[in-house]
Amino acid sequence: MATNGAQSPSNAGVQSITTQNGAWRITTRKLPILKAEPIDALSHEIGIPIPEMIFGDNYATIEYIPSGWSISFNARDALDRVSKTEEGMLQVAVAEDWKKDREGREEVKQVVKPFDWSYSTDYRGTTAGKGEWVETTHERDPIRTDLLSRPDPILFFDAVDLYEDELADNGIALLSVKVRVMPERLLMLSRFFLRLDGVVVRIRDTRVYVEHGGKKVVRQYTAKEAAYEDVKEKLRARGEHVTEALRDANVVAPLLRTVTDVTEVVELG
Amino acid sequence: MSDFDKAIAQLRACRPIPEIQVRELCYKARELLIEEGNVVAVDAPVTICGDIHGQFHDLMELFRVGGDVPDTNYLFMGDFVDRGFYSLESFLLLLCLKVRYPDRITLIRGNHESRQITTVYGFYDECLRKYGSANVWRYCCDVFDYLALGALVMGAASELQGTDHAFVDPNAQATMPSADCDDLEIEILNQTGHIVSRFRRKDPPAPQPNDSQLSNPGSSPSQQPNHTPSRNGAPGTGATSSSRGSSSNAGASAVLCVHGGLSPLIDSIDKIRLLDRKQEVPHEGAMCDLLWSDPDEIEGWGLSPRGAGFLFGADIVKCFNHKNDLSLICRAHQLVMEGFKEMFDSTIVTVWSAPNYCYRCGNVAAILELGEWGANGGYAPRGNGDVGRSSGGGGGGGGNGVLAERVEQREGPGRRYRVFEAAPQDSRGMPAKKPVADYFL
Repeated sequence: MATNGAQSPSNAGVQSITTQNGAWRITTRKLPILKAEPIDALSHEIGIPIPEMIFGDNYATIEYIPSGWSISFNARDALDRVSKTEEGMLQVAVAEDWKKDREGREEVKQVVKPFDWSYSTDYRGTTAGKGEWVETTHERDPIRTDLLSRPDPILFFDAVDLYEDELADNGIALLSVKVRVMPERLLMLSRFFLRLDGVVVRIRDTRVYVEHGGKKVVRQYTAKEAAYEDVKEKLRARGEHVTEALRDANVVAPLLRTVTDVTEVVELG
Repeated sequence: MSDFDKAIAQLRACRPIPEIQVRELCYKARELLIEEGNVVAVDAPVTICGDIHGQFHDLMELFRVGGDVPDTNYLFMGDFVDRGFYSLESFLLLLCLKVRYPDRITLIRGNHESRQITTVYGFYDECLRKYGSANVWRYCCDVFDYLALGALVMGAASELQGTDHAFVDPNAQATMPSADCDDLEIEILNQTGHIVSRFRRKDPPAPQPNDSQLSNPGSSPSQQPNHTPSRNGAPGTGATSSSRGSSSNAGASAVLCVHGGLSPLIDSIDKIRLLDRKQEVPHEGAMCDLLWSDPDEIEGWGLSPRGAGFLFGADIVKCFNHKNDLSLICRAHQLVMEGFKEMFDSTIVTVWSAPNYCYRCGNVAAILELGEWGANGGYAPRGNGDVGRSSGGGGGGGGNGVLAERVEQREGPGRRYRVFEAAPQDSRGMPAKKPVADYFL
C-alpha cells in the first residue's frame, strides 16, 4: 500500500520491463477501484452503468520501442464495446417468474436503461501507432504453445483486473489480463469470463504473442460459450467439485463450444 | 466465565468452535430472534455497519475503530457471509455476541443470508471444509430465516457534538466548523479518530415554500471543501417540495435500516411488519425487494435490465420517508470505494463495511454513528483505549466519503462516519502484492 500514496500519480502501481534486445517494453498498472466521481464521469462518457468493481486506472501494454507502436488493454475501451442497447441482452434465471408476478402492476415502469449488463465484450485491445492488423490463419502464424510450454524462466509476470461484476449475485463477469515475459518471447492473455447462474457460461480470450527477435505481433481472439446446465452436467460427469469448478475459467474453458476464432497479425516497420 | 464468553474468546482468535457448540448457539439465537419483530426497534446511540462478507480480520478492525461490544451498541445490516475466507468465524462471533448481549447488538438479514446464495458464493464450501459436513451450514441457515428484515432507530440526535481529536490536515481546521457549533451535521473521522472533515447543516430552510434557490449550490456554505457532489440527487428539485412538509424538528425522526432498499409493495413500515419472514429469501415479492433493491438516478420505480430486481429513485425515497416520518434510510448491499455514499439530498445512505473487498478492491470501509437525542451527541470516549496505533503514514487516505448534494429536507440525524482501511494482518491479495507467476497459455 505504501507505494500508492507516496509516489506521483503517474507511476503509482506501475511495473515495467524492457526485453534484452531493447525492442519491446511491457508495462502494467494496478491501482484500487475508481472512486465515485470518476465512476460517474466514465459512466457518462460511455453511456452505460459501470461494473461494481471498476479498475479504471489499470492497464497492461506491449510497446514496440523502435516505432512506438503499442497494444494496450484497459477497462474503459473494453466497456465501450459492451452493447448499449437491448441487443444481446441476457436475462437472469428468475426473470420469467418476475414477469409473471409483476404483470399488471402499474407502479413499475419499463426496464431501466437497457444494456448488456453481463458486460460481455469482444474487446481485443487498443492499438496505437503505425501497423495494420491483417487476418491470417493459425497455421500460418501460430501462437507457439509448444515453445510457451517450456519451463523457460519467467522474467516478468503480472495479473491485472480490469473490471468485475457480481451480476447482483447471479454469477460473475470478470475481465482480467495476464502477461508473462520469457527470455525469447512473451504472451499476454486478456480473458472475459461470464457465468450467469442457470443461464450461460462464456469465455472470450484475446492472446497476444510476440517473439522478441521479430517485428511481428500475433493476436488470436477466441470466443466460447455453452449453456450453464450443460457445463454443470459435464463437470458432474468428470467428478469435479461443481461449484468450485464453475468459479474457475481454466477448468470450464475446455467444456465450452468455440463460437469465434480469429487470428490476426501485424508486421511492424 | 460462561460458555458463551469462552466461545466468544475462541472466535475472536479466529478459531472455529466445535460443531456441538454451534448447534447450541444457533438454537439459542433462534429462540432470541423469534421474539424480534420483522422491524426491530433500536434506541440511539447506535453504530450502523454494512456488509462484512467473511472478512474476519477487518471485522476486528471495525470493532477496534468503533469500540467493542457491549460498550458500543451495534446494528449490522446483513451480508455477514460469503466471499471472504472467514464467513464462519465472522458470523458465529456476531451471533455469539448477539446471544450474550442481546440489547447491544442487532443483526438484520442480507441477501447472502440464504441457502441458495451461500451454496454459490462460498459459505457452504467453507463449512464443508472446516467441519467435513454440511451440518454447521444447515444450523446457520436455520438462523438466517429468523433474522429481522429491518430496524428502526429511534431517538437519534439531530445535532452532532464534534469530537475533539486533531484534524488530519491541520490547515483544514481553520476552514471547518468547530466541534461545538450548534448546527454540525456530519463529521468524518479516519481509523485513528482524526477528523477528515466536518459539515454543518445548510442554511436553515427559508419559511416560504417552493423557494427554488435551495437547488442552487452557490448558496452552500463556503467551507464545502473537496467533496464534489458526485451524484447530485434529483436535479429538478420539484420532487423535494412535497416532502419538505412543515416539520419543526421538535423531535428526532426515525431512521430505517434495511439491507437493500424499498419495495413497490411496501409503502409503510407497518407493511414490513406484516410479512411472514421465517423462510428462505424468496425469488420475488416484498421480502426479496427489501434485501435486493438498489437506489438509482431514476424517477419512480424501475426494473433492473437483468430482468429481476428493482431500482428506485429519489422521489420514491422522499415520499416513503415523509409518509413514515423518517429522516433517513440506511442501507448496505453495494460496494462504495469511499465506504459510504449519501444520495438523494441525504435521504438515503449506503454504508459499506468490508475494506479492500475480496482482498483486492483497495476500497475503504465505513461505519455510521448516530448519537442520542438530548444527550448532546452522547459520545463518550471509546473504552478500548488503543486508538494510538500508528496509522502507518496513511493519514486520512480516502477518508472523504461521498455526500450527496444536500438540499434541505427533513432534518436528518447528526452523522459521524468512521472510515477505515483493511486490517494490516490480512493483507493477502492486496493490489500491491505480487501475483504468483504461472505458465498460463
